[in-house]
Amino acid sequence: MILYLGRRLLQVLGVLLAIAAVTFTIFYVLPSDPAAAACGKACSDERLEAIRAHMGLDRPVWSQFADFVTGVFTGRTMGTGQYALRCDFPCLGYSYENSENVWDLLVDRLPVSASLAAGAAVLWLALGLSAGVTAALRKDTLTDRALMVGAVAAASLPVYFTSVLLIHGLIRLTGLLPYPQYVPLTSDPLSWASNLLLPWVALAVLYAAMYARQSRGSMIESMAEPYIRTARAKGLPRRTVVVKHGLRAGMTPVLTLFGMDLGGLLAGAVITESLFGLPGVGRLFYGALSTGDQPVILGVTLLAAAFIVVANLAVDLLYAVVDPRVRY
Amino acid sequence: MNKRTRTLAVALVPALTLGLAACSDGPSGGKTGTAERKNPAAANAGAVLGGTPQKGGTLTVLSNQDFSHLDPARNWVMPDMDFGTRLLYRTLVMYRAEPGAKGSELVPDLAEDLGTPSNGAKTWTFRLKPGLKYEDGTAITAQDIKHNVERSFSPDLPGGPDYAARYLAGAKGYLGPSEGRHLDSVRTPDARTIAFDFHTPFAEFPFAATLPTFSPVPPARDKGPRYDNRPFSSGPYKVDAYARDKQLVLVRNPHWDPKSDAVRKAYPDRIVVTMGLKGNQVDDRLIASAGADASAVPWAALRPESTSKVLTKPEVKARLLAESSTCNEMLQMHTGRAPFDDVRVRRAVQYALDREAIVTAAGGPALTEASTAAMPGALFTGGRQPDTLGIPLAGDPEKAKRLLEEAGKAGGFSTSVTVSVNDKAIGEAIQQSLGRAGIEVTIETVDPSAFYDTIGDTRNRTDLVYTGWCPDFPSGSTFLPFVFDGRGIKEKGNSGNHSLFRDDATQKRIDEIGAMTDGAAAHKAWQELDGRILAQAPVAPGAVKRRPLVLGTNIAGAFGHTSYGGQIDYATIGLKDPSQSTD
Amino acid sequence: MTTTTTSPPVHGGGGAWRLVRAELRRRASLKVSLAVVALFALMTVAAPLIGSLGGWGPEEFDKSAVDPYLGGLPIGPLGGVSAEHWLGVEPVTGRDLFARVVHGAQVSLLIAFAATAIVVLAGTTAGIAAGYFGGRTDTVLSRLMDLTMSFPSLIFMIAMMSVARDVDRILLMTLVIGLFGWPGLARVVRGQTLSLKHREYVDAARVGGSGPWRILARDILPGVAGPVIAYTTLMVPGMIATEAALSYLGVGVRPPTPSWGQMIAESVAYYDTDPLYFLVPSLCLFLTVLAFTLLGDALRDVLDPRGSRT
Repeated sequence: MILYLGRRLLQVLGVLLAIAAVTFTIFYVLPSDPAAAACGKACSDERLEAIRAHMGLDRPVWSQFADFVTGVFTGRTMGTGQYALRCDFPCLGYSYENSENVWDLLVDRLPVSASLAAGAAVLWLALGLSAGVTAALRKDTLTDRALMVGAVAAASLPVYFTSVLLIHGLIRLTGLLPYPQYVPLTSDPLSWASNLLLPWVALAVLYAAMYARQSRGSMIESMAEPYIRTARAKGLPRRTVVVKHGLRAGMTPVLTLFGMDLGGLLAGAVITESLFGLPGVGRLFYGALSTGDQPVILGVTLLAAAFIVVANLAVDLLYAVVDPRVRY
Repeated sequence: MNKRTRTLAVALVPALTLGLAACSDGPSGGKTGTAERKNPAAANAGAVLGGTPQKGGTLTVLSNQDFSHLDPARNWVMPDMDFGTRLLYRTLVMYRAEPGAKGSELVPDLAEDLGTPSNGAKTWTFRLKPGLKYEDGTAITAQDIKHNVERSFSPDLPGGPDYAARYLAGAKGYLGPSEGRHLDSVRTPDARTIAFDFHTPFAEFPFAATLPTFSPVPPARDKGPRYDNRPFSSGPYKVDAYARDKQLVLVRNPHWDPKSDAVRKAYPDRIVVTMGLKGNQVDDRLIASAGADASAVPWAALRPESTSKVLTKPEVKARLLAESSTCNEMLQMHTGRAPFDDVRVRRAVQYALDREAIVTAAGGPALTEASTAAMPGALFTGGRQPDTLGIPLAGDPEKAKRLLEEAGKAGGFSTSVTVSVNDKAIGEAIQQSLGRAGIEVTIETVDPSAFYDTIGDTRNRTDLVYTGWCPDFPSGSTFLPFVFDGRGIKEKGNSGNHSLFRDDATQKRIDEIGAMTDGAAAHKAWQELDGRILAQAPVAPGAVKRRPLVLGTNIAGAFGHTSYGGQIDYATIGLKDPSQSTD
Repeated sequence: MTTTTTSPPVHGGGGAWRLVRAELRRRASLKVSLAVVALFALMTVAAPLIGSLGGWGPEEFDKSAVDPYLGGLPIGPLGGVSAEHWLGVEPVTGRDLFARVVHGAQVSLLIAFAATAIVVLAGTTAGIAAGYFGGRTDTVLSRLMDLTMSFPSLIFMIAMMSVARDVDRILLMTLVIGLFGWPGLARVVRGQTLSLKHREYVDAARVGGSGPWRILARDILPGVAGPVIAYTTLMVPGMIATEAALSYLGVGVRPPTPSWGQMIAESVAYYDTDPLYFLVPSLCLFLTVLAFTLLGDALRDVLDPRGSRT
């Protein structure tokens, strides 16, 4: 088990390094010049060169990449004399736009995206699983049909459409809820939740539908397994059979899905954050992209990749807990 | 427009000598196409909305973006300069806080007067007012202003105005004070006297002295790039908290002395800027103006798609400011490359361009004026552009076709245009209108961040680019030489002269006018040169946009400042009823 | 993932299509969705023809249909619906909404179908190769799948689309969407191939002297076809949604080309001043995604009843 874990962690590092290299290449090889962007209006050649040198852009790409990678672990010093910036482990560099430490920016924005993802996940799991399991247990009844048609329809709704409906209906017409504006959970839990309610719903509608369909399918499958039939034949109460045996086996594929979705979402739901104006990692990324802020783009990409890889790892490890058939 | 660079880093509008500001209402230029109607957005031009404010309360600013830079050495975006210099740091000289043309008049700020020239305007000396203090009560010194001027040279602190670098003597190769080197051409004989030595006469220096470069930064507080996130205040407010791209909270600076300040009124107790909101939501909130939003103002201009929501409601329209941005946007043609090396082809483009469609794409005639000259109206006598070419605003495709025929391009040709993503609709209008004359245009949209890089690469750029120039100074000298002097062209990082216009007669004339000592004669000469250049058609004039801003119902003392691209003057804004505002 | 459960035989050959027809008779929703898919497929193929029925081109301005003094809002009720403009016009430009929606369908679906084709081709090839040949081929391909799946795909797609210049954006978008789609299918196919590889009839063919290519073509490929078709149909709506998302974020097609995502992005701001402008492309997107999902569900029930999906 420990050996397995060690091997997987090494793989995680390798994957991250590969992703960093790809991102680096995409953005640094392409013909855009962050130095010119930073320099501003009527920039003289001499000043442009000085800025380029300061940003380290005058050196070959591979050496910039090597600096970046070693810098992550050992830290880096950027700038000259008394204006030098020292960035310690884990150093992802400084934003070209506002000289903020990229790592600090990510740490600062993560709670927003995490709040969005976590709240939405709770909602969609509750809605999706209960709908899916209900439909599975009443397979081929009217309830089943209605739930599944509803789920397919909801999954097909564009998220832009749902958010506009929510914003218009619940904010502008009724004035019940505020325009979403992130309030940290720690400072005021109630307004944290009320501000995030609409984005949660908008995101959850989409995922709940997917989870309802997925969980119905796997539930039906697992309820048809021989050991379930045995359990039922033994005279165990239906409830026990469903919860202890059916759900447990039926949830394995759902867990896979959940791990990947949550991993992806933690690093920012770009569209939802931009639709609701939430200052999460997704919006950070989108903003950095439109200003060509390469260190931030690289930072967010790495963070997102890290979440996905770690989520996959976590899912694989959880299998052993959930599904008794799996052993490492 | 690129928020970081020139187009918003605009226009210190018309000078003392120049006429009315470009905010006059009524129809512009030509008389074709749709029937002329009274501009529904210009009713408030030149007026202060909401009466005189009461002291106190919290003013909220709703923004869709973060400030580019609040560090005074790096702040060169028009609305940001307004915000920074009106609230956080004082400069040597300042624009008057009044709507209309008076907004381009200068008054002393840190200095006792507008400066004393000597040595043929090659040296300027300023004396600071006595008893000026920072937010911690320590004294503001001339050395601190020198320090900030030096900082603006540092490659660690890019983005700021470069007037110091362009004019100061012996500044070549100077890279800022971070390694202990200093500039000899900025002299501070005592704590209240500062003198600047330029390598060339600089008669308009007082206008440059309004730029944030000439505000004080104490060396002890200078944290290099990090200073951007916490500028040290010499103005009426200081930074209480600044979470980049989220929120900025300003509170009163108790050490600011209103008696020493002729411009800033500092009505609100607190100013809160909420950033990163959706543009359309900001518009909707201000139109509704409910609850706390009544005490709010928008940062960015009203989005074109919200125009109809404002102009159809008299109550909301009454709260709309729409001052001119004074940036003239033009379709610029690569004059060094076929087929645009032929003046007849270029004139065909001038004739084919449908400025009505461009105006509609930029928010309609209520918020944009079609342009009929190269320089914006603010640089012309009377504050309005002359219609030098006399082409109908909707264009004249037939005439354009004839011109193309003369040039041997009867069948038309294909070309491409680069526009910033934000001007996509304008790009489509260009495409559509040139198409009428047989010129098939492909649109390249580029992110604002990469826009100037892309069009500055003269070898690889498209034949056409749509971009503007904003006068940095209330004088033709900050427009025509930047846009039409062929000697300033660079192969990469080219800026201003995007038509790559190289004309000996024009260059000679530019030098002649530059050497004129009579301001009025020079003013006239620039205007006349404008017409001569346009006849050679390096560019086709497009439009001059306004900056529409819907105010909350509790806002008082607000107007769009002509020297800050029409942004609200933060020196005088406040609330009608401070008790209505909440934190 | 370590637990790719392999699935039992799949209906192959002609029997499946009989089942499809039976299913079609049984489910009304399937008929409707087939009709919708057919309609939009027709639009895709014959967009210029259908679009020209209204008499307007998708890129043709109509200044008389919008009021410049109201920010270019369409003149007339329901966003300028009239005999001339059947679905009204786009604000500001006055371009015909009907023509744009039809041409938008072409762009959106073309990208979705082309990207799906790439995924099917790449995914099936890689999956069969990994599953059948095993060994080092399998290791390399599986690692590549894992790596590709670790990429935050939307973020990467946005990034790649936003830095690219001077390229055919439709082609690039197709490639980029396809690039991140193939590993999912490849895994399914690999699992399926692994289970087929040691079937008696495959062993028999091998013993009978058939070469690997012959076995692949005659025995393996038909066996994986069922799940591939089902998986593919279910993948199409995702592709459409991805195109819409990229265009929505402003990194998609180049103006003035219409696509549904780009139309939705531009119309969101008008949802209360010109609701029809917003509703039309949203509804098209919704219906297409819905139809493909229903169709995919049905196909999966028939062709791949035990579900090879992980």
